[in-house]
Amino acid sequence: MLDYDVVIIGGGINGLTTAAYLGKAGLKTLVLEERGECGTHCDTVEPGIPGFLHNLQATEKVTGLSPCMSDLELERFGYEITTTDYIWGNTFSDGKNALLGATMFDTIDNWTKLSPVDAEVYTKGLVEGVDDGGWDELLDFMHNFFYKAPKSSGLDDFANLKVMRTLINAKGLDISPHELVQMNGFQACDLIFDSEYIKTAVLSGSWVGGFSPVHRQIGVIGTLGFGLAAGAVFPVHNSKGGSHALPHALIKCARNYGVDILSCCPVEKIIIENGRAVGVKLTEHAVYPNQEIRAKKVVSNLTLIPTFKDLVGEEVIGTEMSSKINQFCYEENVVFCVNLALKSAPQFKSAEFDDGIQRCFIGYYGGENSRKMAQFGSSLTSGRIFDDELMANWLIPSLTDPGQAPEGCHTCILWLDAPPTITNYNGKRLNGFPAWDSMKLDLADKLVDEFEKYTIGFKDSIIEKFVVSPLDIYRNNQSALKGNWMGGSLVPGQAFTDRPLPGIVRGGASRTFIKDLYLSNSIHPHNMTWLASGYIAACEVAEDMGVREQDWWTGKACRWYEENVDKIPINLGVPDS
Amino acid sequence: MENKEYDVVIIGGGQNGLICSAYLARTGLDILLLEARHETGGGLDTLEFCGHKYNLHAVYHMMAEVMPVYHDFNLKDKGVRYIYPEVQAAFLNKGHKPLVFYHDPSRTADYLSLAFSKKDGESFTRMYTDFKEFSEKIVMPLTYVPAMPSLDVVMAFNTAKDDVGKRYNEMSELTPVEIIEQYGFSSVVKAGLYNLFSMWGLSDYGGVGFLFPLYIYRMLNAALCVGGSHRLSSSLHKVASGIGVKIRDKAEVARVTMNNGRVNGVVLTDGTEIRAKAVVSTVDPKQNFLSFFDEEQIPDDLVESAKNWEWEKATFFGTHVALKEAPNYIGSDDNEDVNKAMMVFNGIDDIDKILGHLEEVESGKLPETPLVHVTCTTLFDPLQAPRGYHTCRLETLVPFDCDWDNIKDDYGKKCIDTWKEYAPNIEPLHTLFYPPTYIEKKLKDMVRGSFKQGSYKTFQIGYNRPNSDCSQVRTSIEGFYVCGASVNPGGMIIGGGGYIGANVIAEDFGVKKDWEEIESVKRARELGFIPEKL
Repeated sequence: MLDYDVVIIGGGINGLTTAAYLGKAGLKTLVLEERGECGTHCDTVEPGIPGFLHNLQATEKVTGLSPCMSDLELERFGYEITTTDYIWGNTFSDGKNALLGATMFDTIDNWTKLSPVDAEVYTKGLVEGVDDGGWDELLDFMHNFFYKAPKSSGLDDFANLKVMRTLINAKGLDISPHELVQMNGFQACDLIFDSEYIKTAVLSGSWVGGFSPVHRQIGVIGTLGFGLAAGAVFPVHNSKGGSHALPHALIKCARNYGVDILSCCPVEKIIIENGRAVGVKLTEHAVYPNQEIRAKKVVSNLTLIPTFKDLVGEEVIGTEMSSKINQFCYEENVVFCVNLALKSAPQFKSAEFDDGIQRCFIGYYGGENSRKMAQFGSSLTSGRIFDDELMANWLIPSLTDPGQAPEGCHTCILWLDAPPTITNYNGKRLNGFPAWDSMKLDLADKLVDEFEKYTIGFKDSIIEKFVVSPLDIYRNNQSALKGNWMGGSLVPGQAFTDRPLPGIVRGGASRTFIKDLYLSNSIHPHNMTWLASGYIAACEVAEDMGVREQDWWTGKACRWYEENVDKIPINLGVPDS
Repeated sequence: MENKEYDVVIIGGGQNGLICSAYLARTGLDILLLEARHETGGGLDTLEFCGHKYNLHAVYHMMAEVMPVYHDFNLKDKGVRYIYPEVQAAFLNKGHKPLVFYHDPSRTADYLSLAFSKKDGESFTRMYTDFKEFSEKIVMPLTYVPAMPSLDVVMAFNTAKDDVGKRYNEMSELTPVEIIEQYGFSSVVKAGLYNLFSMWGLSDYGGVGFLFPLYIYRMLNAALCVGGSHRLSSSLHKVASGIGVKIRDKAEVARVTMNNGRVNGVVLTDGTEIRAKAVVSTVDPKQNFLSFFDEEQIPDDLVESAKNWEWEKATFFGTHVALKEAPNYIGSDDNEDVNKAMMVFNGIDDIDKILGHLEEVESGKLPETPLVHVTCTTLFDPLQAPRGYHTCRLETLVPFDCDWDNIKDDYGKKCIDTWKEYAPNIEPLHTLFYPPTYIEKKLKDMVRGSFKQGSYKTFQIGYNRPNSDCSQVRTSIEGFYVCGASVNPGGMIIGGGGYIGANVIAEDFGVKKDWEEIESVKRARELGFIPEKL
């Protein structure tokens, strides 16, 4: 077990993706995981009443977007994707809802009820935008932007898309797409949409995708490229058996190609000799205590700070680099989760307006309009919980897969974007990150109370509750500093070509300033279940090892979905109305 | 229906199903393993939650390095590492010095002589020597061969080349309490030793005496699996799938199908039909003989014995907590090793108290004062908590029939309060209560929280487990085999059933076994403890 071509530190979904590709490419590859189970942020656990499977962090997936679906044949290794009729629903206090359908037509029907003008813009912008080669152009952009090392021309490529022009034309705006992509998400939404309901839906979709709309450029990619395209261009789905089905499939695939995966193997050090990474040493508590393992290439699937501060060490990188790395921001893109076991599926009050909301497994409540969303955004940056009226995601995975709960029962997650370093809650001053233990139960109750307002009999249907704070998420995955779910926040200065920080990666997106040391985490684009960072790291390691050119390595973003959209099961767990 | 016919379909992906499948695949047979849950492992279940690893079912592996599978599959090099804590057990009692049992028996004897009496130290050495000899020469090897009729056993032991057989026979006639009484321990020491047996819900009656030395000896040599108990099943899963076993989860068997009086496959609850030359079940007799078959399809005595199958009367209530600091016990002033013990028992100083507690539980009464014991796994294996934190598991015997949905939180708090009397510093960060109803909900063959798949009554142990027709794996239904915890040698993490099952089934298929019998079995054969034919 001592000599490998590649050793990968951390068996999260990106580490596993890199491993599966490199194993398939013929490299002798080892994955070292600190926990017992790989795929930490795709945990599916049974912490309470047996039969209720709770997805603790990632729940909705965008894996169907990934080239890995075809290259790694994830279906063959047991990955089954399921969804509901609608893939996003915002429910409002006045009884209305704004929905995004798994197909464009359902979205148009719902939006027509809210704002015929916006429905028209959506219809014209998207339909005209994808005809006459626009579709292929869009999908190529998706691949080149998200599955390759970022280029400085990336935003221009976005602006140059036909669909951006048709969207602007459909609205009759007098701006160039290049001006539009420089805006933040709020500005872009204000220009493109009339309806506050629809703006809120697109803004909240951007947030859940990791693109905070408050930032310029990032917010536009999030709202127009991600929020709006969800469903129509790429799938938002669930996986049968829960989120853990994704790491399971990746593990099976990797092992099929001879990859060794060892759990309970925390790494103490990345061994650096003559400026090159040459292997790793395990900790004294590992299953193989103090074991040294040599490799030609080392990939870290830990985030930036643990990789360089803990595993490489300041003595190697120097104090200047060390203090630069210390500045890496983990403060945004952190969530507070309440996992619930339910006797029955939630009944939305807004079902009277459009009953599609009952066939929607993920959505948002409390975000009434874009002004409130903006206030929420600024509360996040100031370390304050927006506690006057909470706004949060709700997810009901069992609507897509009844196997995740006992018969007739459901699981539900309320997911609040939260500042990890809380300084203020309920008018009280708090001591930041450690304060979560003391106030998490109270906040969870509040989140439930708030959701109760949008539903009928929700609280009575709760059987069991598990609260997972950002501090708990960090305890579960100590590479996720501050409980950050995407490998470090996507904020200006650490996004796209700057990611993770200027000067860390060189000549690609994963090759670091230390020779033979790669990152598959904290790099472009950011960590979601689209498996992009792991894919990019696999490409770059394979190129450097001279094994990239292989005839099976052909997957392109969104293409699997394009070919398989009709066979994705829908509404498997939706109760008969 | 699936196109393919398997050689063997195995029902149940717990330790026995995994072990059986792995061995059989090694003979070249084509094996399908079916698991009803979303993951395999059965009682080898470790929940990873918020950075803590909670062993919700099994935690002590009493036959860790002894299990044949550990050597035959080189599990040591496949991620299964065992830790044998130097301080195996500590008993804290107000008004007495702490009772501490070490992994090293001479250290225990020295400590008992010092803290209790010279006689206790001498008695311990004598008892340990006896029990070690009984276990190593007789009980442990017999764990890995098919059951023998009790008369044959008695005869074989009496005529064996080593007189330990005769001594073991004499001892086996006694009840556990009578056995321990023979050694003349003082009250507290006696209670502590006895509790290492009764903590498993085993009551004091004649038929079970033969197991007593094994439990005491092995619970003084128990191990923790690094990373949690699930690492063993996870590794077995890897090993089995790596040599071609097809493992399907969320695959619950509804029926075993027959053709011309012979088993020919199974039907799953989702309607999938699977064909196989043989079907092996590792689940309980009630499922095996009352739900997988129609009564008229199978012999009456199988139906009868399944109907009479008794679940355990005592089950477990678990309380799992995350802590910021390890428990600091009151007895640690007298002996600081108390804080380093794998098992810490509170308030167990009298054998009558233990018997009374168990009797209360068995009669269906929830004890007012729970007798609890706690394991802080992270003292030995820091991987089971985030850096700097600890994970503890508290367990107590309870009856199944209580309104657990409504009382679990209160009873759990009571358990914690009892524990706090001995470890005042504990402040749980998270708490998970695990009532016996969850055991049954999670593992369908642990009905009524029966974690051994059925009580150890005279007529349900040894050659009678599950009945005298099936205790040697083969059943009177052609093509149907049983090798779960409800079959001799029974439950606990001992790796017996699946191993014996694989050996028997391999013989019936006439395939070559590439593993050798373990050394202790060979020795037991030489000495005459195991007749040739087995």
